[in-house]
Amino acid sequence: MPQAETSSGTIPLRKFGRSDSRISILGFGGHHLGEAPDAKTAVEIVHQAVDGGITFFDNCWEYRRGKTEVWMGAGLKGLRDKVFLMTKTCPHGRDGSLALLMLEESLRRLQTDHLDLWQVHGMAFDNDPALFIRKGGAAEALEKAKKDGKVRFVGFTGHQNPNVHLGMLQTGFPFDSVQMPLNPFDATFTRSFERQVLPELTRLGIAVLGMKPLSGHGDAIKHGVITAEESLRYAMSLPGVTTTITGMDSLDVLHQNLRIAQNFTPMSEQEMNALRDRVKPDAADGRYELYKLSLKFDNPESRLAHGFPLDTKQSEVQDMMGTAENTGHPWPEKKL
Amino acid sequence: MASKLEVNRRNFIKGAAVLGAVPLIPGGAMAQQHPDPSQIAAQSVPEGQVPTKPLGRTGVQVSAMGLGGYHIGSAETDQAAMEIVAKAFDHGVRFFDNAWEYHDGLSEERIGKALNGKRDQSFVMTKVCTHGRDKKIAMRMLEESLRRLQTDHLDLWQVHEVVYENDPDLIFAPDGVAEALTAAKQQGKVRFIGFTGHKDPEIHLKMLAHNFPFDTVQMPLNCCDATFRSFETQVLPEATRKGIAALGMKSLGGSGELVRHGVVTPEQGLRYAMSLPVATTISGVDTMQVLDQNLKVAINFQPLASNEMQSLREQCRFLAGDGRYELFKVTTKYDGKVGREQHHFPTVEELPI
Repeated sequence: MPQAETSSGTIPLRKFGRSDSRISILGFGGHHLGEAPDAKTAVEIVHQAVDGGITFFDNCWEYRRGKTEVWMGAGLKGLRDKVFLMTKTCPHGRDGSLALLMLEESLRRLQTDHLDLWQVHGMAFDNDPALFIRKGGAAEALEKAKKDGKVRFVGFTGHQNPNVHLGMLQTGFPFDSVQMPLNPFDATFTRSFERQVLPELTRLGIAVLGMKPLSGHGDAIKHGVITAEESLRYAMSLPGVTTTITGMDSLDVLHQNLRIAQNFTPMSEQEMNALRDRVKPDAADGRYELYKLSLKFDNPESRLAHGFPLDTKQSEVQDMMGTAENTGHPWPEKKL
Repeated sequence: MASKLEVNRRNFIKGAAVLGAVPLIPGGAMAQQHPDPSQIAAQSVPEGQVPTKPLGRTGVQVSAMGLGGYHIGSAETDQAAMEIVAKAFDHGVRFFDNAWEYHDGLSEERIGKALNGKRDQSFVMTKVCTHGRDKKIAMRMLEESLRRLQTDHLDLWQVHEVVYENDPDLIFAPDGVAEALTAAKQQGKVRFIGFTGHKDPEIHLKMLAHNFPFDTVQMPLNCCDATFRSFETQVLPEATRKGIAALGMKSLGGSGELVRHGVVTPEQGLRYAMSLPVATTISGVDTMQVLDQNLKVAINFQPLASNEMQSLREQCRFLAGDGRYELFKVTTKYDGKVGREQHHFPTVEELPI
C-alpha cells in the first residue's frame, strides 16, 4: 500500500460515557506496538498517530513484558496532555494490592503521574467476576486508585465470553468503561458481545470500547472473507460504541486506519445487516473468533494465576522464559 | 447469572489463599512437578465382576464401566493393548467405546483384534466423524469401522464430537449425518444410535431439542462438572426425562488431571461419576496400572450417598470455577484433528489449547 503523503488530520470525537471527556473514534491498540522493529519506529508511529488525530491510547501492564508501555511512554513524551491514556492491570483474580503495584510500574513506564483510564485486564473465566469483587480483590484497587487521583476512570476488558461481562456488570461496581470484541462475526455468533452486552452498556451509560474489529488475527481478511475497511467501518458504526481500538505495528497500517477514520461516515443499518448476513456462514462455528474458544489470546499471566497450562509456542511465553534464561531474572533487563 | 456470583464464603477465602499463593515469578509456577502416572502403585484386583446397568429404555444391560477407545490406541504396543482388553473383559468390562478417527483407525483395529471370539459377549460402540459432512461419507465410515472392528454390526453408533456451535444445524441438515443414523439402524448395521460431545451443555440441549430418536447421549460427568457449565445439572435430567441413556466420560478430567493434581483420588472421581444416573462410565486406559485401579473401584462399586456426592462437589467447587480441570470445555485442547479441518480451525500444533 502506498504511504499517504501526510497523515495529519482530525478524527471525529465521541463522548466518553457519562463524562464530559471526548475521545477519538479510532483508538491506538498497545499490543501491536511491541511488534514494531525497534523503539525509534515505535516512537515515530505514536507521533504520527497523534498528528493524525488519534487521542485514545490503549496499553496493558502485561504486554510484551512491559515493552509496549515503555515505547508508548517514550512516544507520548511532551504529548501526554493531548491524549486520553489507558492501561490495564493484570491481577487475574489475585489481590487488589498486586493490581496497585502494577499501577505504579505502569505509570513509571508510561512516564506519567496519572492515567485517564485504568482497566482490569482479560476477564475470561466464569469465576473472574466473583474474584474481582471479593474482599481484597481488584475492585478495591480500582476504587483506591480513583480516590487517590492516580486514575480518572476505571473499567474492565475481556474477549472470551459475554456472560462473564454480564457477570462483571452484575457485581454492581461503578465502571466507567467496558472493552470487548465487536466485529461482523461477533454479531451473529452464539456468544455475541454486540447482542448480549452492548445494549446493557448503553442502558447503563457506560463507555463502550470496541476491540478486535478485524477479529483479532486478520485471518478473515487474509482469506478474502471481508476487507479491513469493511470490518473497521462496521465496528465504528455500531450505535453506542465510543471508540474502536485496533493494533498498528507499522506506518502503513497506521495510515490505512487513519484514512478510514478521518473520512468516516457511518454505515447504514441496511449495509450493516448485509455484511452480517454475508459473513454469517463463516461466523457460525467461531473459526474467525478463536479468542472466544481457545486460550491463544490470553496472556500467560492469566493462565498462571488461574492454574491453566502454558503454551510454550506462544511468543509471550517465549519472551517470559527467554528473559529468565538470559538474565537469571524473570523481568526484562533489555535495553529499550 | 446471579447464581454464579453467589460465592460461598468459605470457598472464597480458600480461593483467595490459593490465588495469593501463585507466585508473580513465573519460573516458580512453571517448575511445578506432577507425579508420573506410570508410577501408580500396582494394586490387586478383587474377585468378582463389574456390575451391569440398564441402557436407558433399550432393555439391554451394559457394564457399569466402559473401556475408552482413544487410550487403547495410546497403549505402547499392540500386545499391551490386547492384554488390557483381555483383562478388562475377564473382569466384566463389556462396553467398548471407540471412534472412526482415533489414532487414524488404530484404536478400532486393536479392539477388533482383541475382541476376536468375544464379539457376542461385548457391547461394541464406535463413532462417526463427518463433522458436518453428508450421509454418504458417514456410511463409508461405518463400513470402514465395521471392517476394522471385525464385525458385521455395531451395538451403538454415535455422532462424534458435537462441539462446534453450528454442529447441530449441520447434523440435522438435509442429507446430513442424522439421516445416516436412521438408515444404518434400518439396515440392521447398528442396533442403537446416539451422539457425543465434551464442550457445552447448550450444544447438547440443542441436539436433544430436535426430538430425534437417540438411544444414547455421551457427555463429560465428573465432580468439577457438577458446578461448572454443568452437563450433570443441565443435560442429564433432560436425557433421563426423554428416556435416553446417558454415557459418562472424562470422570478424571480427560487425562487424569484431577488425580495427578491431587484434587480427588481415583476412587472418589470414578465413584462420583458412576453414582450418577448413567448407564456406564467410559474411562480411558493405556496401562495395566490404570486398568487395575479402575477395576478395583468398579468391581467393588457402591453408589455414593447423596451427602457424600455433595461434599465432593463442595471439595471441588473452587477449582472447578474457572475450568482449569475441564480443559475440554474452555479450550481447544481436546478438539480432534478431523473436526478442526472440517471447521477450518487451526491444527493441534498451531492451536494446542
